Amino acid sequence: MPLRRIFAITSILFLAVLAVSPLKNALRPYRGFQRAFARLGAARAKSLQAAKTYQQQPVAIRQIWLPDFENRVDRCTTCHLGVQDASMAGAPEPFRLHPATYHTPKDSGRFGCTACHGGQGLATLEKDAHGDVADAESPMVPLKFIESGCGRCHSSEQVAGAATLSLGRATLERNGCYACHTVKGHEAFRSEAPPIEAVSLKTGAEALRRWLKDPKAVDANATMPRFQLSPSEVEELSNYVFSLTPGRTLADRVQAAAAEPTGDVAKGKALFAESRCISCHTLEGKGNGSAPELSKVASRASAGWLLAFIRDPHAFNSRTRMPQFNFSADDARHVVAYMESEFKDFDAPKEILDPLHVNQTLAEKGKVLFRQKGCFACHAPGVEVDRFGPALDGIGDKRAASLDFGKRTDIARTLPAWLEAKIKAPGSFQDGLKMPTFALSPKEAQAAVTALLSLGARPVPQPYRSAPTVRASLLPGGAVGALMDKYRCLSCHQIGDRGGDISTAPLTAEGSKVKRDWLVNYLVLSFTIRPILTDRMPVFRMSKDEAAQLAQAFETFYLDPRIPEDPYAGQPATSRDPVEGKRLYDTLGCRACHILGAGGGYYGPPLTEAGTRLKPGWTYAWLKGPQKWRADVRCPNYGLADADALRLTSYLDTLVKSSTASKAKRGGTR
Amino acid sequence: MKSRFQILGPVLLLLAAGACSRHKAAAPAAPAAAAVPATPTAEAPVAEAPLSYELRLGRGVYQHHCQTCHGETGAGDGFNAFNVDPHPRDLSEPAFQKAKTDADLKDAIQRGGLGVGLSAMMPPYGKTLSPEQVDQVVEYLRTLKRIDG
Repeated sequence: MPLRRIFAITSILFLAVLAVSPLKNALRPYRGFQRAFARLGAARAKSLQAAKTYQQQPVAIRQIWLPDFENRVDRCTTCHLGVQDASMAGAPEPFRLHPATYHTPKDSGRFGCTACHGGQGLATLEKDAHGDVADAESPMVPLKFIESGCGRCHSSEQVAGAATLSLGRATLERNGCYACHTVKGHEAFRSEAPPIEAVSLKTGAEALRRWLKDPKAVDANATMPRFQLSPSEVEELSNYVFSLTPGRTLADRVQAAAAEPTGDVAKGKALFAESRCISCHTLEGKGNGSAPELSKVASRASAGWLLAFIRDPHAFNSRTRMPQFNFSADDARHVVAYMESEFKDFDAPKEILDPLHVNQTLAEKGKVLFRQKGCFACHAPGVEVDRFGPALDGIGDKRAASLDFGKRTDIARTLPAWLEAKIKAPGSFQDGLKMPTFALSPKEAQAAVTALLSLGARPVPQPYRSAPTVRASLLPGGAVGALMDKYRCLSCHQIGDRGGDISTAPLTAEGSKVKRDWLVNYLVLSFTIRPILTDRMPVFRMSKDEAAQLAQAFETFYLDPRIPEDPYAGQPATSRDPVEGKRLYDTLGCRACHILGAGGGYYGPPLTEAGTRLKPGWTYAWLKGPQKWRADVRCPNYGLADADALRLTSYLDTLVKSSTASKAKRGGTR
Repeated sequence: MKSRFQILGPVLLLLAAGACSRHKAAAPAAPAAAAVPATPTAEAPVAEAPLSYELRLGRGVYQHHCQTCHGETGAGDGFNAFNVDPHPRDLSEPAFQKAKTDADLKDAIQRGGLGVGLSAMMPPYGKTLSPEQVDQVVEYLRTLKRIDG
């Protein structure tokens, strides 16, 4: 009897244990989701057949397996059943159709889900999959930083279609993050900050104190961050800066310039406008903003320094982006006279530019601070740059548990929240941290966090990597190279994979694009090509010789093999038909954006003298697909046939500057 | 003893069935509950909250290609509008919005003014924008409809 009883109880227990597994499976929430999806699909289906297909879907785990992408297994589609289902647009989550992006829906099978969204691909419970559990290995990326996923594969600075990521990468570069932090691909970064020895030539004690306290309060365009300095630390650093001896030649130049007679304010004002200083600088906030605000500059820099600097900026700071303008000795005086008369901070004390009487004890303390605070990383980088900040490679995959949240108990304990707080207020984590405050706008902060999250711990597999397709920058040496350096072409223009973004015209294919005679004239006296643009080519007062030398070099170096020298070669003679080309010009509506003669829109470059400026090969190549040459260009691709593109080209090539008009103009100017 | 087994069998079955049915009852409620925190708008910046992801993409295309002539609000008052003859269409006009179907708008964007028998000043974008982008911009155009009165 007892034996039978034991047998009975064990049998029941055994049955119960056996029942656990199917029971657990039957209780899985995804089954409920799949049944709900079948009902929703059937309700939304347009035909009985389609409704039936939804209902007949077996309830089972779905997954995307990517053996060649880190062996990812993404089971997200087990619950997110509608991500690729067009009829699920606007459906409630988790069934909603994935928004159309560059890679969805067509590439879902190639990338899976977790590559961009993060999360635990293998999990089938919402909490586990989304990484809401404490210290998940890979929690989901908040949607406002989702473009960090793009950056895992796309390593270029500018990623088309990922505006936030691109802004973020630009923000990291502009704010000099790479001066202190190592990031692969940015080892060669050097800050443009001026060498510290020459600062005492430029500014006064009070101006320097104000600057050290908060650079952005002095100049909204400042890239120098705010260091949390106490008044005594400001004093020590000021003493250190004024204790340094600037180079003899520079000191002499500033002194000599200060002794020169003042120029003519009115002439200076005209020169200032003509030289297009605000293509880089701002004046009361108006202008490009990639160089200092000038409206109060005369209260930050002495007249002697301004004059000597404008004459030869590169002697003062070899890393500055400012080009050298060929002002005559008088012209430069006029410009500085104008700046001295208008660009003052009239509320500032009169002695703002007075030098400091150095106290050696304080200066010694300042020297230590200069090292301690890391000022040297930007202001005196040697050959071997000492990047003392933690390396940022792989920061996008850091576990939240390994982060020091310090005093910040108010934020979520996740990596994105930590990064955002860190970038907004580094000092709030702990006292005495070295990282300064950058005063980024909320948009910039979001973008910078996106860019940081894109720095993964391991590189994605080779087939997934998208390296920039731009050509390597080809920079000539010798006399031409020196000229391009003197005028700092790369500060605004892009050549291959290098250069600034102020100009919308990359020079990579300039030799294939514009006619040489036009280029020479343009370099001597540059004028507005597109009236809508506010950042315009400065007038450098280049000599005709220099201009000819540069134009010759452009025609030799900066060619693109895709642009034909003679587009008509091998084409029927009928395609060279300007009359038919004009008809095309009128019917295609080019006039909506381009000025030609008396009428036309204000958006694209005027075409009145298109034939003087552009080579026919370029015009043809452009017409065949403008986006090929500049991805973000507004000019639509009309899908023109070869013959039509050639006809239009031949018409535009006939539009040249009339000789009488040009003679009159040449007589009128210098 | 036998009878005990006979009773226990159905009891087990009943328990299992009960568990299943309880689960069934709970399931439909789950997706609705999950929908609330997972919507993309919850994560988006406050200013952009009313626009869905597709609409934001559509707005991007509109601002890039259309706004120059058709204006920020679609009223046909972009800064280039007055250089264009005939002037660009007021896209925010309710009567216009009502008269044109999505397919009409898509067609006009893809084939241009000339393609649909109107002014050539409206260029065709079929070769510049992908069909998805055109759909997105059409969707965005619908949000520009002016509310009169």
